[in-house]
Amino acid sequence: MDSGNAVKKVLVIDDNPTIVELIKYAVSLHGSYQVSVAYDGVQGLERVYAEQPDCVIIDVKMPRMGGYQLVRCLRGDPRTADTPLIILSAMTREEDQMAGLLSGADEYLTKPFKPTALNEAIERVLRLTPDERQSRTEYLVRTQSERE
Amino acid sequence: MGHKALRRLTILFIDSDKNAHEKLQQALGEGFVVQGVVSIAEAKRVLSIKVPDVLISEVWVGEESGLELCRYVRGKAAFKCLPFMFLTSLSTLQDKVAGFEAGTDDYVVKPFDARHLQARIRLLVRIKRLEQHAGV
Repeated sequence: MDSGNAVKKVLVIDDNPTIVELIKYAVSLHGSYQVSVAYDGVQGLERVYAEQPDCVIIDVKMPRMGGYQLVRCLRGDPRTADTPLIILSAMTREEDQMAGLLSGADEYLTKPFKPTALNEAIERVLRLTPDERQSRTEYLVRTQSERE
Repeated sequence: MGHKALRRLTILFIDSDKNAHEKLQQALGEGFVVQGVVSIAEAKRVLSIKVPDVLISEVWVGEESGLELCRYVRGKAAFKCLPFMFLTSLSTLQDKVAGFEAGTDDYVVKPFDARHLQARIRLLVRIKRLEQHAGV
């Protein structure tokens, strides 16, 4: 991953070309991200390993590999366990949001989205440290796990 | 309420290397009970007697394919909600895609961080519960 003032790389993974264009437009308003795109989960996974993006924006319902699976797949590999991940989904139920966060996403945003909200989320996840991410995960374990 | 311990989870772990069974139990600690088996046939036998909280398998169990076990588990209604995780040294994109296509819920690449793995197992159990009750 890049550090300091280098241009940050954002990878968008969504099978809907219209949504992809909206996301690219929203992200362009920030002005300093280099955006690449993948149109299904497997292609997204390929791009993650090839490009090592600084942040990945992931849809949930996608062909070949769904968004939750993709998030778990990335979190389960030491090479990508600390990559900032944002789910951007049309699924708005609280349970869906919880499934995304339990899978390992740093943020869960719903469609339709405001460009400012997306850019603020990107800023937040780029600032997250591995320790902060681990603390969030452990908080989820404490609050969501079954007890005796 | 806050003082209650997290529920102890039972793990059925399939790996042809018996040393790996001990290592996993040590890494997960007292909050988990690991039952290790060395073959897929043994795993199926154990599953027919008692369903664990989580099933964890290597992708290759000796000469046998863990993918086949995963497909077997996903094909049985009784195990529909059983969390399945691959814990493996196979880390290529093709390996991972094959794992998820077979129906695994999670895919963790070795070497693993013990704290990280403990958390992932517990969260996976919660996710499967959500899938069961809320259809996520």
